[in-house]
This record gives sequence, structure tokens and C-alpha cells, in this order.
Amino acid sequence: GLGRESEPSLDVELLKEIGKKALIDALNSVNGAKTLVLDPTLAGPLGLVTEVALLKHHGVDKMFWLEPGPLSSTTSNIVYLCRPLIKYVKILADQIKRHAKESLKHRYTLFLVPRTSTLVTRILEEEGVLGDVTISSYNLQFIPIAEDVVSLESDNAFKEIWVDGDETVIYNSALALDTLQKLYGPFPRIVGKGDHASRLATLLTKPLPEQALSTTNIPPPAAPFDSLIILDRQVDMITPLLTQLTYEGLIDELIGLRNSQVELPLSLLTPPAAPNPANPAALPSTSAAAVIPVNNEKMKKHHLTAATDPLFAELRDLNFSSVGKSLNKVAHRLDEDYKARFQAKTPAQLRDFVGKLGGLQTEHQALRLHTGLSEMLVPVTRTDVFNKSLEIQQNLLASYEVSNQISAIEDLIAQGADMQVVVRLLCLASITAGGIKAKSLESAKRELLQAYGYNYLPLLLSLSAPPLSILLPNPLPVSTVPSVAASKYPFTTLRKSLRLLIDDNPEALDEVENDISFVYSGYAPISIRLIQCVAQKNGVISNPAEKNVTDDGDAKGKGSAKKLYAHPILGWKGFEDVLAAIPGKTFDIVQKVPGGDTAPSVTSLLRPHEQTTTTIVFFLGGCTYTEIAALRWVSRQNRGRKFLIATTGIVSGGSLIQSIAGVSK
Amino acid sequence: LSLEEASRMVDPTAVVTSVKAAHKFFSEDKDRAFEAKMMDESTRLLSTQQQLEKDSDGKVNFFGLSVSETIRTCILNGMAKKADRVKAEFKVPDKRFWHLKLHALTAMRDFEALDAF
Repeated sequence: GLGRESEPSLDVELLKEIGKKALIDALNSVNGAKTLVLDPTLAGPLGLVTEVALLKHHGVDKMFWLEPGPLSSTTSNIVYLCRPLIKYVKILADQIKRHAKESLKHRYTLFLVPRTSTLVTRILEEEGVLGDVTISSYNLQFIPIAEDVVSLESDNAFKEIWVDGDETVIYNSALALDTLQKLYGPFPRIVGKGDHASRLATLLTKPLPEQALSTTNIPPPAAPFDSLIILDRQVDMITPLLTQLTYEGLIDELIGLRNSQVELPLSLLTPPAAPNPANPAALPSTSAAAVIPVNNEKMKKHHLTAATDPLFAELRDLNFSSVGKSLNKVAHRLDEDYKARFQAKTPAQLRDFVGKLGGLQTEHQALRLHTGLSEMLVPVTRTDVFNKSLEIQQNLLASYEVSNQISAIEDLIAQGADMQVVVRLLCLASITAGGIKAKSLESAKRELLQAYGYNYLPLLLSLSAPPLSILLPNPLPVSTVPSVAASKYPFTTLRKSLRLLIDDNPEALDEVENDISFVYSGYAPISIRLIQCVAQKNGVISNPAEKNVTDDGDAKGKGSAKKLYAHPILGWKGFEDVLAAIPGKTFDIVQKVPGGDTAPSVTSLLRPHEQTTTTIVFFLGGCTYTEIAALRWVSRQNRGRKFLIATTGIVSGGSLIQSIAGVSK
Repeated sequence: LSLEEASRMVDPTAVVTSVKAAHKFFSEDKDRAFEAKMMDESTRLLSTQQQLEKDSDGKVNFFGLSVSETIRTCILNGMAKKADRVKAEFKVPDKRFWHLKLHALTAMRDFEALDAF
């Protein structure tokens, strides 16, 4: 096991309860039976806070997707639940007008998630149906997706901010973070990096509109916040472009995880008809045959969560290369446990075993699931395209023979690799090398358009246009706007100052296992290194796991007994130069805590070391499963500090590229 | 952008018109020479595809495919000569062309043609 420390942490389930209660309140505000019309993109997030049975219980008679076309409803109440997007409002207006033509009488209620917008009212007014609709909001904010991760589950946040220039999601994030402050206590200090992150921080320091909180008594937080760290995704674009190599990350990359759900063949999810506990050891191997994804096999959504699946908790953050070993160990242990039955001699022992049997069978099914999942992943990780793209990634990170890598990327196009794989590699090449030679870039772009279709030209344009600018020629054309030239990413400097690459030789292998770089087999995500700059300063310079052993004498002002405790948050101190090199605003705001006029930084310094504090890390524009895994690792290195990861959504390079391309998976 | 418009359209003539509009738009900006060239190629591809559909008596759908997919579809439908012509017209590098051909022939289990490779 990973031995999670049993220190108190925030109860994020509270957020789920709030989300659930707000939904019920919204539904109950409409009397009688109702037809619910649901925005399809909300189904996943809602599934995380509630279940269909609960909706039925609160008067929902039938449910429909919000889709163009006529809507027939048997109830007089129609409730729409959607994000405030123009296309949805148009569909809704159209449906209302149709009903009016057929002189059908319905009462319409529209709940906008997470809040109402004047744009929506205006469109409804233009369509002439404003008077027929009661508009309200369903304030769905952070949804807990793991015991230490909360997410707004807003899939397109990145595209909205950096391609469309729509900052609604920044405001929504501010409101959601403000709710956290009201629930669990204030953020005494806000540290962060990035222009949009800075805008978010500024919003947080200004008074925000009062939000109704539908809770009555809030338990005092077990681990109050010591600070909020905000990073915007643009600060580290490299990390999401790489292929994630942790178990959960790889599932997301290769199979796809949406709202913590993965689609799997049905046979993998249902226990075999006649489980034969007498011969458990044979099962992992026999299940292999059932796992080969048959195209016509029924797929079913499965909610991957560590809350009900302890085995998943053990596996999710491991580098995929060691997942097999762990599965094997669990299989052996289970086998031993089953064998215990033969040692049972007295009736009491036998009863004891039967009592344990249920638990064993649950564990057995979990083992079967994850063995099957791994077996789905393995063939893909052995393909030529997968390994070639990993090789190109590693070479680019090391700035090794860059022009050869570009032609290797063209080879991948020729081999028919996925569009998103190719685009990710090209962007990675552009960022790490500070642009691609104009001639090779043009030929690569031409290859790409010919192979995948000219309709991807807008995607290429978005990637090279500011503020994103992650696909650029080198040298830049003279006509380039100065802001693009200024935003050049100092990758080679960072590689050194933040110790991003760990050598991949046998002697260094131990080192890799002692550092966050294990998540990408030798590369440390910049985003997490930056968080270490704030919260675990020595972890940036050398491996903290070693440091704890060797640096006994080096106690620098702290008593050696407290050595293992996390140091208080001191902002970017010591790393100012590094931060200045990265484009985007750097900020460090100390907030006044209401009721006390001492500067909070002092109180946090004086805070007894025995008390655990929580540091929130908010990723504006999404974070990857790999970054979560790395941050959990950092969290385990020090006592006294927990991380709560908050994000606009979970992303991968693939999902980012696809959202910019405008194709939905 | 008229290009995004084009991707949503179903009617072939409307698509061609939008892509042409995009071409015009890009050619007005001298920094967008590459994009203009690509749009020009795109128009040519669309008309080639319309011709291919005529040649196959409308049995095979070509319209809106990418250059690679067009070549693959040609080979899959026994129009190897046409595939060579598309290759020449759009200056498809040998490497990509042979990959496409290899995969298409394997998919068809056309072992004679594979031997002749």
C-alpha cells in the first residue's frame, strides 16, 4: 500500500451534499410532476452528485436530452437544466414556440448552471418567449471527484479562456473558491502565476456577490487553509502535451475518462456467472480472453472511484510499468486468503472464513477489473506509434536532435497516427525549442492537413495565434505582434533551474522513484515543481526523500524534531528569478483575515507545527491525472500539510486539442 | 470564419463556395500565404473528389475526405490509377503514399498486388 497518512483532511463530501441539496431545492421549487430536459454535457457532472432515483423521488416524471427538434411532454411542468449557452437557449425557445403553435399549455422553468446570465434573458426576449419562462439558477460548483480533488467539471474551460477569450469561467471559479472560503475558512495567502490566474486572484480579493449557501451547520474544519496556490494552464503547457504514464492517466489517454467514468466492455464489469472460489488463481489468466475488446460487445459506463475500490486507490498513481507487479502481489495475497479455508478446522474458524468471504469476493472482482483494464492498455503501449511518440517526447525534452524529431513526427503522420498525437508533438517541439524552423513547420502542417483534412486549418491557426502561441515558426516573421515574441517559453533554462529531467540510467533509477518525475518516467511536471517552490522548497533542488535521511544536521532554525514538518508558506521566496523568466504575472497576496489585525503570514508562522494545514492548489484551465498523482506524492513527503486539488476540469493533451479543434469525442 | 462555416455545411456547392471565400480572405493578407495555398488545395481536392464520384457512378463517397483518405478509398475500390493521380496532383510524399497503399491492400487481402509491391 501507499500508506496514506492518517492526518485529518477536509471533508469534501460536504460539497457533494451541497450540490445535491441545491438540486433538490431547485426541483422542489416547481410544484407537481415535471419533465426534465437536460443539457447532455451536464449529465456526467450531475451523475457525480446524485442518481436518477433521487430525481424521480422529487417529481421528475420523464427525462429528455436538450436537443433540437420537437419536445412532447405529458406533464404541464417542463424544467430545463443547462449551461447558459446560446445554442441551448435557441433550442429551448424553438420548443416553446412550437408548443404555442400547437396551443399546448406548459409551464416552463429554466435553471441555468451555475448561474443566470443577461445574455440568456436577452436571447429569450429577442425570441419573444421571455414572458413564458421562469429563469433561475442551479449553482453547481466544485464536485468532489476524489477525497483530495474537487472539480468544476467544465470541459471547455481551457478553450474558452485561451482561444475564445471568454472569461466567464474565471468568474465562476472565483465564486466557487469563495464558497470554499465560506465553508472551510479563509485563504490567508494567495500565491500564483499566470495572467489569468492573477485576474482570478484579484477577483477573490474583492467583495463578491453574496451566495446563498444551503447548509445549516458547518463543522469546524479539521485542517484550515494556509494558502491558495493558483496556476493557470498556460504557465505549463508542456506537461499536458506529454503522454501520461500513470495508471489513471494512461486510462484517460487511451480509453478516455469523462467525469470519472470509463466505458468498458460489459463482461469486465459483471462478475462471472459462477464464481469458483476454489480456484481463484486461475481467474486472472482466464479473464484475459474475455478482455479483448470485441467491437460489438455492449459497453457500459463504470465509475472509477477510490471510495468504493481500494485497489484502485492503490494503483491509480503508479507508473504503469509497476502496475503489473502490484496486481500480481494482490492476486497472490488473495490466493493465500482463499487457501485459509483449508486451514479452517473448527466450526468457529470456518464461520470466520465465511464471514470474510464477501469481502474477498469484492476484492476479487476489483482485481479482475483492473487486470482486465491493464490488459486493454498493454497492447496499445506496445504499438509502434505509441513508443515512437514517447521517444520523440523524451528527445524533445532533452532538446536532442530537434530537426530529426520533426521528421519523425512526419513519419507518424504517414503511419496514420491519431491527429491529436501528432499535434501534441508538434506543439511540444515548438515550445521546447522556441519555435520550429519555418520550412519544416510548413511542410509538417501541410502533411497534417492532407492526412487529416483541411478542416483542421482553424485548429492550427488557433494554436499559433496569441494568447496561446504554442505552434510557432523560428525565427518569427517580422510582422509578429511583440506580445508573442515576449511570451516565448524559457524551457531550457527551466529544465536546469527546476531540475525537470532526471537521467534515465540505472544508477538514476532509484532517484526517479524518489521524485515526482516518476509520473512521466523521468520528467518532472513544471506545474508541480512550481508548487514545490512554494510548499516544499528543498524538493525542487534535490530529492526530498533522500534529503530527510542525509540532512540531519541541517536544521536551519527549525528544531530537528520538526524537520519532517512542512515549512510554512513563504510565497515564491528563493525562486523569484525562475518565476520571472516564465511569461505571465507572478503574484503573492496576503489577505486580511476578518476579526484579526495581525498579518496572517505571521500567524501561520506561529501556528503550532502539530496542526495540519491544507494548501489548495487551483488549476485554472484544467489539470491532468498525472499532476494529481505527483502532487499526492509531494503531499506524502511532508507531515503537517495536505493538498486539496481544485481544478476547472480534468484534461489531457488529447482532450485539449480536441476541444480546440471543436470535435467532441 | 467561413472555414468553420464550411465544415458544418452538407450541400457540396455551398462547401466549395465557403472554402473559396476563405481562400480569398487569406490571400488578402500576405502573411497568410500558407493558409491561402492550403485553401486552394482544398478547393482542388473537392473538385477532384466530385470528379471521382462521377467516375465511380456515384457508388463511392469521396466528398469531404482528406487527401490520405481519398487515396485509400481509391485503392480500396480498385481505382489504383486514380490513386496515383491524386498522389501526383497533391505532391503526396512517397512515404505516406506507400503506407496508405500497404494498409489498404492488406485490408483488402489483395495479396497479388502486395507481392507486386
